[in-house]
Amino acid sequence: MAEITLVEAVNQALAYEMEANPDVIVMGEDIAKNGGVFRATVGLLDKFGAERVLDTPLAESMIAGLAVGMAARGLKPVAEFQFMGFIYPAMDEIINHASRMRNRTRGRLTCPVVFRTPYGAGIHAPEHHSESTEAYFAHTPGLRVVVPSSPSRAYGLLLASIRDPDPVIFLEPSRLYRYAKQEVKNDGKALPLDVCFTLRSGDDVTLVTWGAMVKETLAAAQSLEAAGISAEVIDVATIKPLDMDTILASVEKTGRCVVIHEAPLTCGVGAEILAQIVEKALFSLKAPPERVTGFDTIVPYARLEKYYIPSEKRIIDAVNRLMEFA
Amino acid sequence: MKIFHLPDLGEGLAEAEIREWYVNEGDVVKVDQPLVSMETAKAVVDVPSPYAGKITQLHGKANEIIKTGAPLITYETDEVVADKGSVVGKLETSEKKWDDGDVIIGGTKTRAPAIKAMPAARVLAQQLNVDLSQVTATGPQGLITADDVKRFMENSNENKSSSTQLTGQTEALRGVRRVMAQTMAQSHREVVPVTIVEDVDLTDLPPKSDITVLVLKAIVAAAKAEPALNTWFDGKSLERKVFDEVHIGLAVDSTEGLFVPVIKNAEAKSDQELRQMVDEYKKSVSARTVAAKDLQGATITLSNFGMIAGRYATPIIVPPAVAILGCGRSRDVVMPRNGQMVIGRIMPLSLTFDHRAVTGGEATRFLGTVIQQLQSAK
Repeated sequence: MAEITLVEAVNQALAYEMEANPDVIVMGEDIAKNGGVFRATVGLLDKFGAERVLDTPLAESMIAGLAVGMAARGLKPVAEFQFMGFIYPAMDEIINHASRMRNRTRGRLTCPVVFRTPYGAGIHAPEHHSESTEAYFAHTPGLRVVVPSSPSRAYGLLLASIRDPDPVIFLEPSRLYRYAKQEVKNDGKALPLDVCFTLRSGDDVTLVTWGAMVKETLAAAQSLEAAGISAEVIDVATIKPLDMDTILASVEKTGRCVVIHEAPLTCGVGAEILAQIVEKALFSLKAPPERVTGFDTIVPYARLEKYYIPSEKRIIDAVNRLMEFA
Repeated sequence: MKIFHLPDLGEGLAEAEIREWYVNEGDVVKVDQPLVSMETAKAVVDVPSPYAGKITQLHGKANEIIKTGAPLITYETDEVVADKGSVVGKLETSEKKWDDGDVIIGGTKTRAPAIKAMPAARVLAQQLNVDLSQVTATGPQGLITADDVKRFMENSNENKSSSTQLTGQTEALRGVRRVMAQTMAQSHREVVPVTIVEDVDLTDLPPKSDITVLVLKAIVAAAKAEPALNTWFDGKSLERKVFDEVHIGLAVDSTEGLFVPVIKNAEAKSDQELRQMVDEYKKSVSARTVAAKDLQGATITLSNFGMIAGRYATPIIVPPAVAILGCGRSRDVVMPRNGQMVIGRIMPLSLTFDHRAVTGGEATRFLGTVIQQLQSAK
């Protein structure tokens, strides 16, 4: 069993499913010959040929439109956007067509497309390469939004996303692409969608996060343990639909909750999670829940990036504030 | 061999001019070592070396213009450039192992849910230092309410006063003494008391004056002057009821405990009637025959503790009333009068008022009226 990085896990899942299902097509800018901006699709052209691994023109609206058409006709396109900040020209196709195909045709057609894109800050890139705007997509009925946070979850969740009959926005935390390696069995086993992953069990506070922030959150949980505070860490993984059952059960147990996300505070997915906690678990709360998030600004350039991304310290500070309530 | 092409030194600049080379052909350079000073349309910038190695050729001389993307320097290097895995930015790489530990798909569900309590109940429990796990919940679905916390607190207070903290032989408080304990504790929790003290000069009072009756009459007069002290106050609804009639509670000591029989409509009673009532109450208290209805409805209270001993005090208000007047022991003192020392007689007064319902001005004017009434009594 090979130890691979998150981006290699993406590659491995794509290759596995292309092998298993001839309907799977990958497409995007520079993904074929060049292997993609982060090399997520490297080697696929040689293996599966130019009919299934398509270099597209630099036109995101067209990429999405093409994918929607293919999906409606029974193919399973996996379209890559080079960066999340480049996805906006494709919003019309995604929101007005991909997300509505099933509803518009009263279930006659579905749209089994996966839109993949690197996501998040932390790689010293210019600003529109650092977006985390998962909330735009989570707000749109008909879209599933999935964010892996480890090589094994990237593999298992991407397989599940490709096999899902409806459109999936698959957001790959670029900060974690090559951060660490993990043994991932290339056995084609998908992980379940629409369910959280509890990465660490604890009794005092529930830390809810996803994507690259899992890294800082796990580090914070470890530091807190040294200070005698037992933190449960939940990787939401599927942002939409949200597995609130898991989150609520944990919050009812611990009575305290901090949601951590890299995206800006206002109207972020953390707002939705806290709203549901207040609606459904208010009487279990021992302390007002908190959010530790990016700021309501454009993600700054490389030198200020580390101040934008929620730090381990900010997470620990929030937990300590919550622990002041008995 | 590796060629370093002139990068775009700004946003979309087509070319740049060599100002000065910092290196020569044949030099061995390190990564990030400044190579050359280039002047663009926007600025002069130093270009750092992207590679380590020996320079074999400089593609241009000072003051020559190099197009963006054209060769700038040729290196001799054995280094094979690794694919950075990104054309934009810089990915963090490490040999770290991703340790997922025991990932649970879904939640842990290992422990029974923690205590459910209204937020207000949690705050109250924290203030009163109550352990919520000890509180009996009466709210829907096992929810602890603020009232549950209060009830728990009251029960635990009762337990403490009767047995938990006392050693040796104990007796449970009964009857009036028990009521006193509860009423005083309630007053202490709720009332915001202020006590003002002053001496009243009784030197000119005719001998054998009935001081108790005079004080009762002075209270009636003061209650007319400052009705704010002849009032009931509800701290929860923040409502008050100002009375025209004056029902004076008379604190009477007994071995059983403190009784406060009420002289109803004191404003309508003559001196003789007042004296008669005081005597009757004293008798009925010591005989334990005082009727329950006579113990209710005081709008203001008089404590004549000076009959026993004591000058000043901080008398405790019995809610919902807002004032209590205490009379200390009268005594002879040397006092100045018209520039001379004379022997006079004074009685110390202590007025406690509930500052939630009564202002300092109202209270001091009330006390002033009592004093003025007593000093002008014939």
